[in-house]
Amino acid sequence: MKKPRYIIMAAALAIAMQILPACKDEFLEKPVLGALSEELVATRAGVNALLIGAYAALDAQQGDQQNLSGGNAWEASPTNWIYGSVAGGDAHKGSDGTDQPAINVIAKFLTDPSNGFLNSKWRAVYEGISRTNLILSIMPKAADIPDAERKTIEAEARFLRAHYYFELKKMFNMVPWIDETTTDYNQPNNVDIWPNIEADFQFATDNLPATQAQVGRVNKWAAMAYLGKTYLYQKKYQEAKTQFDQVIASGVTSNNLKYGLVDKFKDNFDAATENNKESVFAIQMVANDVTNSIANANQGEMLTYPYNSPFRCCGFYQPAIDLVNSYRTDANGLPVVNNYNANPVKNDMGILSKDPFTPDAGTLDPRLDWTAGRRGIPYLDWGNHPGQNWIREQSTAGPYSPKKHVYWKATADKFSDQHSWAPGSAINYVVIRFADVLLMAAEAETQLGNLGQAQGYVNMVRARAANPANIVYTYVDNNDPAKGFTTTPAANYNVAPYPSGAFTALGKEGALNAIYFERKLELAMEGHRFFDLVRWGIADQVLNAFFAYEGAIVPDVRGGQFVKNKNEYYPIPLRQIELQSTNGESSLTQNPNYR
Amino acid sequence: MKKFTHRWQRKSCLVLMLLAFGGAVPLQAAVTADKATIKPLAWPITGKVTSSAGEPLPGVTVLLKGTSNGTATDANGNYSLSVPENGGTLVFSFIGYTTQEKTFSGPGTVNVTMADDARALEEVVVTGYAVQQKKDLTGSVAVVNVEEMTKQPTAQVTSMLQGRAAGVTVVGNGQPGEAPQIRIRGFNTFGNNNPLYVVDGVPTTNINDLNPNDIANLQVLKDAGSASIYGSRAANGVVIITTRKGKDKIKVQYDGYYGTQRPKTGNVWNLANPTEMAEITRQALTNTAIANGKDPAAISHPQYGTASNWGLPDYLVAGNSFGIKGETPATDPSLYRTNPNYTGGNTELGTFYRIVEANKEGTDWFHEIFRPAPITSHNVAVSGGGDQGSYYFSANYFNQQGALINTYLKRYTVRSNSQFNVNKNIRVGENIGYSATDNPRITAVGGDDPIGYAFRQQPIIPIRDIMGNYAGSFATGLGNSRNPVAAMERRINNKSLGTRLFGNAFAEADIFRDFTLRTSFGGEYYANTDNSFTFPEYENSENNTFNQYTQNASSGYNWTWTNTLAYHKNFNEVHDLRVLVGTEAFDSRGINLGGTTQSYFSFDPNYTTLGTGFGGQTNSSSRSAESLFSLIGRVDYNLKDKYLLGAVIRRDGSSKFGASNRYGVFPAVSAGWRISQEEFMKGISWLADLKIRGGYGIMGNQINITAGNIFTTYGGERRNTYYDIAGTNQNIELGFRKTRIGNPDAKWESNINSNIGLDATLFGGVFDVTVDYYRKQIVDLLFNPELPGTYSTAERPYVNIAEMKNSGIDAAITGHFSATQDLKFDITGTLTTYNNKILKVSNGAQNFDAEGRRFNGSNIIRNMVGESMSSFFGYQIEGFWNNQAEIDAANAQARTAADDANVVYQSDVAVGRFRYTDINGDGLITANDRTVLGSPNPDFSYGLNVAATYRNFDFNIFLYGTQGNEIWNQVKWWTDFYGNFAGVKSKTALYDSWMPERTNATAPILETGGSFSTSSVPNSYYVENGSYLRARNAQLGYTLPANLLSKYGVGRLRVYLQGANLFTITKYSGLDPELNAATTTAFGIDEGNYPNMRQYLIGVNVTF
Repeated sequence: MKKPRYIIMAAALAIAMQILPACKDEFLEKPVLGALSEELVATRAGVNALLIGAYAALDAQQGDQQNLSGGNAWEASPTNWIYGSVAGGDAHKGSDGTDQPAINVIAKFLTDPSNGFLNSKWRAVYEGISRTNLILSIMPKAADIPDAERKTIEAEARFLRAHYYFELKKMFNMVPWIDETTTDYNQPNNVDIWPNIEADFQFATDNLPATQAQVGRVNKWAAMAYLGKTYLYQKKYQEAKTQFDQVIASGVTSNNLKYGLVDKFKDNFDAATENNKESVFAIQMVANDVTNSIANANQGEMLTYPYNSPFRCCGFYQPAIDLVNSYRTDANGLPVVNNYNANPVKNDMGILSKDPFTPDAGTLDPRLDWTAGRRGIPYLDWGNHPGQNWIREQSTAGPYSPKKHVYWKATADKFSDQHSWAPGSAINYVVIRFADVLLMAAEAETQLGNLGQAQGYVNMVRARAANPANIVYTYVDNNDPAKGFTTTPAANYNVAPYPSGAFTALGKEGALNAIYFERKLELAMEGHRFFDLVRWGIADQVLNAFFAYEGAIVPDVRGGQFVKNKNEYYPIPLRQIELQSTNGESSLTQNPNYR
Repeated sequence: MKKFTHRWQRKSCLVLMLLAFGGAVPLQAAVTADKATIKPLAWPITGKVTSSAGEPLPGVTVLLKGTSNGTATDANGNYSLSVPENGGTLVFSFIGYTTQEKTFSGPGTVNVTMADDARALEEVVVTGYAVQQKKDLTGSVAVVNVEEMTKQPTAQVTSMLQGRAAGVTVVGNGQPGEAPQIRIRGFNTFGNNNPLYVVDGVPTTNINDLNPNDIANLQVLKDAGSASIYGSRAANGVVIITTRKGKDKIKVQYDGYYGTQRPKTGNVWNLANPTEMAEITRQALTNTAIANGKDPAAISHPQYGTASNWGLPDYLVAGNSFGIKGETPATDPSLYRTNPNYTGGNTELGTFYRIVEANKEGTDWFHEIFRPAPITSHNVAVSGGGDQGSYYFSANYFNQQGALINTYLKRYTVRSNSQFNVNKNIRVGENIGYSATDNPRITAVGGDDPIGYAFRQQPIIPIRDIMGNYAGSFATGLGNSRNPVAAMERRINNKSLGTRLFGNAFAEADIFRDFTLRTSFGGEYYANTDNSFTFPEYENSENNTFNQYTQNASSGYNWTWTNTLAYHKNFNEVHDLRVLVGTEAFDSRGINLGGTTQSYFSFDPNYTTLGTGFGGQTNSSSRSAESLFSLIGRVDYNLKDKYLLGAVIRRDGSSKFGASNRYGVFPAVSAGWRISQEEFMKGISWLADLKIRGGYGIMGNQINITAGNIFTTYGGERRNTYYDIAGTNQNIELGFRKTRIGNPDAKWESNINSNIGLDATLFGGVFDVTVDYYRKQIVDLLFNPELPGTYSTAERPYVNIAEMKNSGIDAAITGHFSATQDLKFDITGTLTTYNNKILKVSNGAQNFDAEGRRFNGSNIIRNMVGESMSSFFGYQIEGFWNNQAEIDAANAQARTAADDANVVYQSDVAVGRFRYTDINGDGLITANDRTVLGSPNPDFSYGLNVAATYRNFDFNIFLYGTQGNEIWNQVKWWTDFYGNFAGVKSKTALYDSWMPERTNATAPILETGGSFSTSSVPNSYYVENGSYLRARNAQLGYTLPANLLSKYGVGRLRVYLQGANLFTITKYSGLDPELNAATTTAFGIDEGNYPNMRQYLIGVNVTF
């Protein structure tokens, strides 16, 4: 009586158990949602989108106040305002003393390898490299790309890869080389990657078109200019000259403008006039896109606007007194290359904004007032700089405000982006502008003994500075700058080209000094200074002199010390050394003399 | 075609499963119990059976011992039974009550009060897919006294668990509705350590909306022996909750309380007043000037003026003038211009003319945002039951207003549980709960939240300006905090609504004599939405100028279908065997939606929707899906009530693993020996019961790995991979990158777990003691360690890489004794310890760090091999540099030690700053001298509940404490160092900072700027003893005499007064040592924690 029931039940259960695995496999297969598989991107459209993705890593940003590494936006700013300009003595960190303390130690060369900012920069740049490698590894799987297009894509990708490696090379010197063939990413940093960078730029030079349908794409001439820069950094002056000669003679921008200096110096720093004939290679910024964020709006510089000002935040990146003093000119309109601090530009340290102040009356290079905001001088069309009221803590970081990346009030609605607690802007960061190419060429020529040719290039730059179009004029109405400017210069400007034969008279060393100084004046606050000082081999003397002078006035750089044979390069981030270790042995070797 | 086949397969499998089980049910025939023929006896015995509350108990089985002669009580609890005249023993039994035996010597009346006493060994404990008697348990199971637990006035069951169950660590703060972090026996993973909750048999990860009043019992399964039956979801421990069922006659119960929550009074952060701030500033500027060789007479400050006329300003700001003394043309109120609801963005903001008078008395920002707030709970429950089934229905309204303005938890819950006895062998029923919750909260992060603003905003700033609009830090010299009152008041229109339906339906059939077949289909459906509005700001130094409306929604469902077949047979009172087999399927789907729109014509909350703004619109969404399928088996064997053996096994398949490693098997065995049942133990009179238990097993975990872990994926995101390739300044074009590195080879991690414990009942049941020692080793731990930067920043895969272990002791003691006839005590104590140790993080790095806070570039927390989770890491301070000679000597030594003329002992060194300890002894301070400075993990935590009853009065107090844990008091970073942003500073900074004549100081010298040697790197300055003892709860109740109430139809009426968080004993200098735990791998940092409030309540319990 009982038995059949057991049997039936057992049989039923057995059937159920038999059936279950069949539905189980299906039941446990869940697809990934909201993402693409490799098959879907290994197409012409997919690879082109990957290429745009590789360009998008140029600004190193990914989200609100976040760089590609996940750290704060400014830690990996492509403008190198921290690693190139603050570290180079162009500027103070600014803000309050303990705001972003990781920059304080970078500014004073006290950083140790554990500094997280360096890790951010490293990771953000390697993300750019990985995007370029991804293009090269996936493109062969996409059958529908025409051969000519394949060439251009590869050339653009390799240009970008070379740029990213150039960033790493000048920051860290010895870094692991990862390319599209790499399968083990735990690579040592024991090989000099200059040849790889050269090869990529050479490939780009050989395979890129002279012009592009979209101005943001790199072209042949940009590649050649960057290749020249690569040679210059290696002191291969003849090879550098060869590139620069062609670029200067025949180069055009991607939108087919013959390379040249724009008349107005300021046009290099205005979204309305960017992608002009001076823009050799620029990172395209965009304001008020559809993201309700400033992630694509030069977010890396979000901190670097005057404080308690129309820009609201955050009072970083304050030009150094030493830098401002450099713009002093003599009676002939020439720079005071040596001992420029002997006749400092008058500033308002210790003077409250409500107390009176009269700006310096001596002769100055007008580029000063496009480079640094100082009390009593028109700050673009935002009004006269009020001094302390716009400075977060003058007693800590000095009296000046940055200016080159700042947007104009008249076009602020269009070119500034206010979707965050600090502004973004559409102003491109120009990695290489033509004035830079001319000065690099001048350097190569001088090293090769062609002082006259070098002076010619320098004078092109100085002549543009001397163009009356570059004078800053006072406002018609100080209370309403919108009414425009008078024809009264805001300061006593006097700048002129070097007289004929001046470089020959100076000799090679003197001419080099003049070129170095010209680069300081022309390219200040553009992220180049530290790297220039290092490749010239004068970082220790220049920066230690800077600390001695500046530190006595502005306390945030007191105690700074550049140690020769150590501080030429940043330390390899400790975190990367840890991550690349196996059984306690790292494949990365720390740069010399870091502990 | 393929699709069709699959669909058909799936359908067919469901149908067949139904058939398999459904078909079995009709097979059961009416099973008739063997009934011995009862010979009528002449002697009647009668009596009444009542509950301890005095209510009559119907349905109690009354049996003459040793015979099958028995009966049951009637509806009034009365019984009558014929018995032999020479006397004997009556056995009274009823589910949920202790079985009692009464001897009688002849006919007459035997009345019995049944005890539903939880301490009884016969107490029924719900464990994994089974019900066991406590005496038979072989695993480690903490049984919580629900009645005591639910006295805590909070909405969260998880919060209530604090200190109530040995082995369970609960870390939470005072914010209404904020779920605490709950951990069972230390840490099992770097990710989610939340236990699995099983409510009425349905697994879930969320019990935030469970009404505590609905809980009948709660057990915590802690070891493999008890929890492995839940396989891959058991590793973090399992909390088994059963909600209430009806029984007996209809009962209506009301429980309610009302109370007030009181913020801590006084100067909670020891902050300086405006006059003291002026002095702190003067000293800092003077010290800095002197150190830099400058003339201290030349100092100036935008608010306090120059050294010669240093003092508080009368106006903080008037237009473009800051720090004004006296009336000036600039302070003319007619110039004032502010539009608080401006829509013109930065341009319009630039036209404002603010006039703000100084508040020289000082604004007490903490008490401007923290105010006394009410808390209310009303709960009604109706229940009843009988032969045909039972029902339970409840409704709860809970409203806890936050002491922090505009934070609160409002929750409505209803529950319906019912069971129908279809016939003697078939039962069907359901348990279902529904909740609706509105719970605006703040997220406390790193000082950039309203609580942080309150210890950063200068007291000289008033709440409002001369025209009644907000005042703030706008003006140089006032720092960059925001107005905390404004920040909170602007949240007024932020709302949230979360609804959740959770429950199951089940059917149970007893088939044949010994089998029970059960099927349960349960799960949840949830829908959450919240909306917030961001107002433009104008009063701060760093204003947001846009206005923005944000709305998010998430919804989803999951279901669990469980089928089990249980077998139970007792062989001759010698062997007792229980076997259970089953299957369980789990499927989960969810979606998230979010949108923001900017630029609204009006900020009227009735107007703002995602569609009505005219500015930028963004939206986002995501979907998720995952599933599990499991086979279950368990065997419990009991020999002679002395030797106990348990074995469980589960095979889980998860959608999160690739085909090669999809299935995992999780076995466990456990055994118990009731020594006290042995003959040689019978003589020990004080030992009523003693059992030794042990278990070993493996649990799994897959909660942390993401659903897409198998796949390598590509994609784009506007802010990340799009680019303005055409140089338009306004348009970005589509770009892609690799978004995820997949790992198809991930396999199950193993949590290898051993446990040994003993349960003892002492002194005739006065004390019950349970002690357990455990070890857990987690191997193949699924973790997504940071990869070298050379890999790209794509989402990292979870790999079986890490390893950690835990060990510890859980102990619980309960005591019940009477001091006099009327004075009775119940005492429950719990002790929890865990010793967590990380054994492996990755093949490369031996640590990972977290919480940079304002030490940008370096981190406070290091999770490192050899240490426990969330260790504090940095430089050890060994004192101050008291003079230049000390510095010179140290530098000279360092140069010798390093053989390098360029080195200094310590960066940024100066008199009055910290001297760090050279941990590695290499003669100078480098990053290698950072060390573990403390740990937020306590040596032990404990809870002590003392309940006393005296006649109609009852009193209860619950104490909770932790010992041996440290807190990182990051608030001091803001308040004790002048250079760390120009916010308000502490009295410590003024009265106890280093000076040449005050070298025995607490804080370093006052100076502008920060340095490596003071505040720009994590160091031991912030580490404090976090131990505390807190009176979590105290209650004094009075139950009105029953005879007084019966005429009004009231069964029971109790009123009580209650105080929560009445006192705290601690050395911690901050606001509250009880901190919320943001994440598993980074907790114990106080940077503006939502404190627990003292609460005073009055409550009532009524039963009809």
